[in-house]
Amino acid sequence: MGKTQRGKNASLQKKAERKKAANDFTLSLDSSDEEAPEEVTFEDSKAQAFQSLKQALDTARREKEQLREKRRKRQEFFQEQKKNKLLPADVLEEIDPTPLKKQKQSEDEAGEEAREEDGEKEEGHAKERKLPHDRTLKGSYTVTTVTEREAAHYQRQAAEDFIRSRLYGPGSCRSTSNELLSLQNKRGTNKGAAVQFVKKDWACKEKAKAEKLKKRWLHKQQMSSS
Amino acid sequence: MTHFRSLFLLRVINVVPDVFKRAALNTNLSFFLSHCQMGEFKVHRVRFFDYMPSAIRAMAFNSHTERLAVARADGAVEIFHFADNYFQEKVIPGRDRRAIEALCWVGHRLFSAGLDGEVTEYDLENLRARYSIEAYGGPIWAISSNSQGTLLAAGCEDGTVKMFEILEERIQFQRNLSRQNGRIISLSWHPSGALIAAGMMDMVRIFDTETGHATHRLLVERGVGASKSREVVVWSVAFLSDYTIISGDSVGKVQIWDGLTGTLIRTHLVTKWDVLALSISQDESSVIAGTSEGTIVQFQFISSTVGQQDKHWVRTRTFKNHSHDVRALVHTDTAVVSGGMDTQVVVRPLLDKVEKNTQESALRKIAFPHRSLVSCAKKTGLLLFQFPDHLELWRLGESDGNGTPGESLPVKRNPEKLIQLKRKGEDHICCSTLSPCGSWLAYSTVSSVCLYRLQLSSNNISIQKVSKLPKELRSVHQLCFSSDSSRLFASSSLSSVIVVALDQTECKYLHTLKHKSGSKQPIHILSPSEDGQWLATANTGCEIHVFNLRKMKLHCSVPAYSSCPTAVSIHPTSCNLLSVHADQQIFEFSLKQKEYTEWSRQLQRQGLHPLWLQRDTPITRVTFNPKNPAHIVLHDTFMFCIIDQSLPLPEPETKLYNQMLLRSLPQPLRLRESHAFKICKNYQHLLSVNLLEDLSLVVVERPLLDIMSQLPAPVRQKKFAT
Repeated sequence: MGKTQRGKNASLQKKAERKKAANDFTLSLDSSDEEAPEEVTFEDSKAQAFQSLKQALDTARREKEQLREKRRKRQEFFQEQKKNKLLPADVLEEIDPTPLKKQKQSEDEAGEEAREEDGEKEEGHAKERKLPHDRTLKGSYTVTTVTEREAAHYQRQAAEDFIRSRLYGPGSCRSTSNELLSLQNKRGTNKGAAVQFVKKDWACKEKAKAEKLKKRWLHKQQMSSS
Repeated sequence: MTHFRSLFLLRVINVVPDVFKRAALNTNLSFFLSHCQMGEFKVHRVRFFDYMPSAIRAMAFNSHTERLAVARADGAVEIFHFADNYFQEKVIPGRDRRAIEALCWVGHRLFSAGLDGEVTEYDLENLRARYSIEAYGGPIWAISSNSQGTLLAAGCEDGTVKMFEILEERIQFQRNLSRQNGRIISLSWHPSGALIAAGMMDMVRIFDTETGHATHRLLVERGVGASKSREVVVWSVAFLSDYTIISGDSVGKVQIWDGLTGTLIRTHLVTKWDVLALSISQDESSVIAGTSEGTIVQFQFISSTVGQQDKHWVRTRTFKNHSHDVRALVHTDTAVVSGGMDTQVVVRPLLDKVEKNTQESALRKIAFPHRSLVSCAKKTGLLLFQFPDHLELWRLGESDGNGTPGESLPVKRNPEKLIQLKRKGEDHICCSTLSPCGSWLAYSTVSSVCLYRLQLSSNNISIQKVSKLPKELRSVHQLCFSSDSSRLFASSSLSSVIVVALDQTECKYLHTLKHKSGSKQPIHILSPSEDGQWLATANTGCEIHVFNLRKMKLHCSVPAYSSCPTAVSIHPTSCNLLSVHADQQIFEFSLKQKEYTEWSRQLQRQGLHPLWLQRDTPITRVTFNPKNPAHIVLHDTFMFCIIDQSLPLPEPETKLYNQMLLRSLPQPLRLRESHAFKICKNYQHLLSVNLLEDLSLVVVERPLLDIMSQLPAPVRQKKFAT
């Protein structure tokens, strides 16, 4: 502590001395140029650095916590929404009893080895060997998809997205056809204006609204005059 | 004071052309009177056909038959015959979910593979897909056959290279090479067939085809800066016979590797964007690389000083043929053929292989189809536009009043779209036609034909589908109604024509017309005569056959000519058959005498004018003028021409395009200077020119600028002073 005080006082003293020296000099130099750098002790700077580091860590931790909180709240909110959106539990049970059935069968498999069980299982499997999109229900209706969307469709979509993102996605530095043609007009032998120089279809909604207001106003004028 | 006024006047004059241009574009139709030196015509200038070609995705060249196969983004495959003036012989229409990524010729057979995961073989005589087999590897990115033509390799999304055995009538799955961890984007066989180089993400793998194992792994460097975190895609590889591998990747490098040791020899950074396609020449001395900027860079295997033996791959030429990405490249013996997102096929002859300043060395751009997509009902002024997925029926506008030649007439009634007919099913529309009276409409896809009855009154239109069509009308390439709308002609398989009779609401099969030449090539032109007695047909085997419709049998065949006919028509009064071919030759054949006419012989003796022969787009329609039997109206993409058979033919030394000159001469001199070919270049780019019954011309234009403004995004290039 004494050391720190000394450091400060020392610098102050030095400043005073230097000022005096500067006054003696006939040349009027900028005092900051001549000044030696301030003396700061090692402990001081270490303490400062440590403090700033701690602060940074603290803020990072706080931010992470805040984000976590937000995420948790969102997740909860979505769960609530989902629960509200889903059909009541009994209707769901009716539509999809298969997972329960499958569980039961696996349990049976694990337990028994009798052939009757196998026969039963096969029958059960045969009954269940329908289209993967069909699900039988307890009543007399089935649920199927309207068009057969194969797994291949998703792969194909992924491939198309890959090509599109490589050629036109971020980082591809693309411009528009309009700009290309406008630059050709600008640098060509017969210099011309940009393509679509005047944008005629700007503010269509506003224009339509203005049209309607005008009609209404004219109508009002007519009414008031008549 | 006067000085200021004249300045002001100058500025006003400068503004007027811009305003005028905009006005003309806004009204999609304007009337012009055009003076064509033998009469005046009222011209309906139609610009409301929004024809949009599809981007080119892949190309493959068959050097034995000189045919180029081009695959478009909508699944259509087109065949161009390079030896016959680059004529677009065949078009196989696409399908909704077919997305072709690669094409491959094996002998005379054409295979394609795409993102739907299937390998398809095409039937080029019936213009459809012969069969498709599922590869079960996910989307297929590349296919390639070995030089012996026995195996077909397909590079799939799941990382496997699948080998198919090529049998007589089909292909059969043989085995998978060892499965890799990334998708296989490109493939190239070594000429011996023992090794395959596969371009993947971040690397190139070399497989041994015998064992199926991957032997070498060539790691491709990622880009610098931001692109270091993204994987590099090796879009294209080429395997040379001295075991050199050339690869083009998404960072813009072309790298040369030693395939035996698996080491990098040389890197060339060619562009800031991707190198999307590579192609080697037949003698392996030249490689071309196509980039996203639209440039094509050539590398040649030459020594740096003449006479020395050490050769390297040196970058020689750069061609900027396209404004958008180049996605397909073919290196033929004499030219560089490229195609990409700007939908044009560009053929650039290499000047060290052809003679300079000749027809052979000219740059060719094929931007429009070589067949007509517009049908016109001459008696009622209706137009039918064919799109791949729908048809549009328009009624032309009207204008009264006369004016001086070159003037724009006011439009009394605007043209209106009457019907938009969407096709059924997944196959794209192959051909469509409208009857001359405008009461029947027919179109066909590869699987079916649809016929509709139209009833048009002054303010009402009704359309009714004819439900039961004869079963003979199955896969049809070309459709045509007779001039009295009582018959429908359809060109079918084995080069035969099906004749169907049309009644008020139903349609009955009458006859199948066959010819005896044994050719199985598809018929692409059908042209009935006005009086309903003759039917002229032309197929892609360069044959023209004429059938007698009263007797329902073959009348005669025109003598064989080596170039494919592009337009055929029968004169209404003299019954002469006029045919125009892909090499721009014109022939007139008399059906009654079964021999060439005197005018045609004279034309052949004198020869056509060299400027006429140098045109690079084919004539797609021939019509006649009912008022003047000596007139023939032809058009190609850049001009329409009226040939007057009563005037002398032009000498090779005289000016071919002499309309402006004749207009400036006084009347008595005009007759001396004029010749038979009256060419008008006012309207471009022409998709169709028809002559209506009231003697007005209908000119359907599609300016290239309108197409270019709707293309997808090009790369952003920073040019100096912009």
